[in-house]
Amino acid sequence: MASRNVFFFFELLFWPIVGVVSIGLMARFLRLTPEQASFVLIGTIALSVVNVCQLEVAYAVLLDVWSKSLKHQFLAPMGVRHLTLGSWLVGMVRGLLIFGLLAALGWWAFDFRVLAPGPVAVATFLAGCFLNAWIVGVAVCALITLFGNRAEAFAWSSVNLVLVLAGIYYPISVLPEPVAALAAAIPLTYFLDAYRAHFGFAQEFRAPVATGLALSALYALLAHWAFWAAVQRARRTGLLLKMSE
Amino acid sequence: MRRMVPSVGMFAIDAHDVTKTFRSGWFARRETAALRGVSLSIPRGMIFGLLGPNGAGKTTLLSILTTLLTPDGGRVRVLGLDVLRDATALRRRLNMASGRPSFLWSLRVGEIIALYGRLYGLHGAALRRKVQELVELYELTPYRRVPYSELSTGLKQRVALAKALVNDPELLFLDEPTLGLDPDVSVRVRQHIARLRRERGITIVLTTHYMREAEELCDEVGFIKAGRILARGTPAELKRQIRLGEVLALKLDPPAVPWLAEAPGVLRCVEEDGWVECTVDEAEKRLPEILRALHAEGVVVRNVQVREPELEEVFVELAK
Repeated sequence: MASRNVFFFFELLFWPIVGVVSIGLMARFLRLTPEQASFVLIGTIALSVVNVCQLEVAYAVLLDVWSKSLKHQFLAPMGVRHLTLGSWLVGMVRGLLIFGLLAALGWWAFDFRVLAPGPVAVATFLAGCFLNAWIVGVAVCALITLFGNRAEAFAWSSVNLVLVLAGIYYPISVLPEPVAALAAAIPLTYFLDAYRAHFGFAQEFRAPVATGLALSALYALLAHWAFWAAVQRARRTGLLLKMSE
Repeated sequence: MRRMVPSVGMFAIDAHDVTKTFRSGWFARRETAALRGVSLSIPRGMIFGLLGPNGAGKTTLLSILTTLLTPDGGRVRVLGLDVLRDATALRRRLNMASGRPSFLWSLRVGEIIALYGRLYGLHGAALRRKVQELVELYELTPYRRVPYSELSTGLKQRVALAKALVNDPELLFLDEPTLGLDPDVSVRVRQHIARLRRERGITIVLTTHYMREAEELCDEVGFIKAGRILARGTPAELKRQIRLGEVLALKLDPPAVPWLAEAPGVLRCVEEDGWVECTVDEAEKRLPEILRALHAEGVVVRNVQVREPELEEVFVELAK
């Protein structure tokens, strides 16, 4: 289907490439040190990977809402976990492709070696990105199922807010105190912190990977419950039907 | 129509006192009672028609029976399973198609059937076989690679029916299956629905606004209005229940006979296009009496027709 949809081409390739190229060129223009450049490029790559993967999870509901075919999905004998896990798997495949592509582009264009920390560190970083993508994607599904089309704009803006708070382009120590506290509640913050440490940046948190995983597990459970509860509510209120044919 | 006599455990649908109220507005203060204690039992293997005016509660009832909507009260068992407790198991055994089908616009016909096949657990060779079977059954082979958005209304309807059979359902819900179709396509869809029951033994519950469709297809029909089932039975039974009587159409010379409306057993008389149409309680008994009386008055009877009231007249009567 993606091969016939320009929309998907832009999401999957165009914007991620534009992101890395523009940030890389900006780093060159501002004469950032190689360390500083790698700091922002890691953020840019994480942003693309999380975005592509979370979109795929959110599409599990969104595409059916847009095409008014939602009821057929919920008429089938499957639970919300099948829906989200299935789309998450596809999202991870796409996320991996994007990561590989952007890593190659970063190396070729800006001599940025994102794979340098080794396979374990890369795998942990990607796992963190994918877990965050799942949480955000499922939360978007829950919001859409809870509030219908009205929630779409809110859903997208909340995704971007989460990514901005997680310190995509800056250490969260530069954030004002209450905002930094919010950032500390976002799992991606910890995975970025852990990965950037491999490029010589001081860690802002102790045991960031363990903390990130623990927070991810907590939010994953909460997001799953929220989506499940939203579907139950939609079956009760009739919203499931309103969002269908 | 063949009348089925159900025994215990033969019911595809067994609903008792089902209620559903929709709440909307700020703090859910606006309430709309969609179902007000609906009880309905439908034997397996039957084609049952649910009729009623717009907003009567047909789609709400269908949605509850398909587990898409949860009832507020009452007890609903479908194929012997509770719609709330056993919803997932039940969904494996039923399916539905709507008269206003909608699927992901960019998917091709074959992909739509395959997608929903996967959701029902089909994969590999079994999925390919099923897609092929349904594409052939609904004569969709030339359109297999056409995106959904490029299909005509009739073709979309056929895709919806193909999707609805992807899990070989025991119970099929059809929500206005011929809505907006050309007459020739409607006829074919109706023939196909009848064939589904005949060849596969599927129980079918359909809603429709077309009385002719209900009369032609359904073993029994139920009239729902304002969230209540007002009447049910075979079309013939309903006509008797509603006491619409039978119609004697007479071509007379002279054409107007005022006293006819006052004759015993005549419920009402109207003149239309040179015919006098008298609705009588029992045509077999009243026709000889009326003919004798007309003869005695010197009125010449040039033509006589006896007909049952249309189901549409029952509908109009009940919808009042």
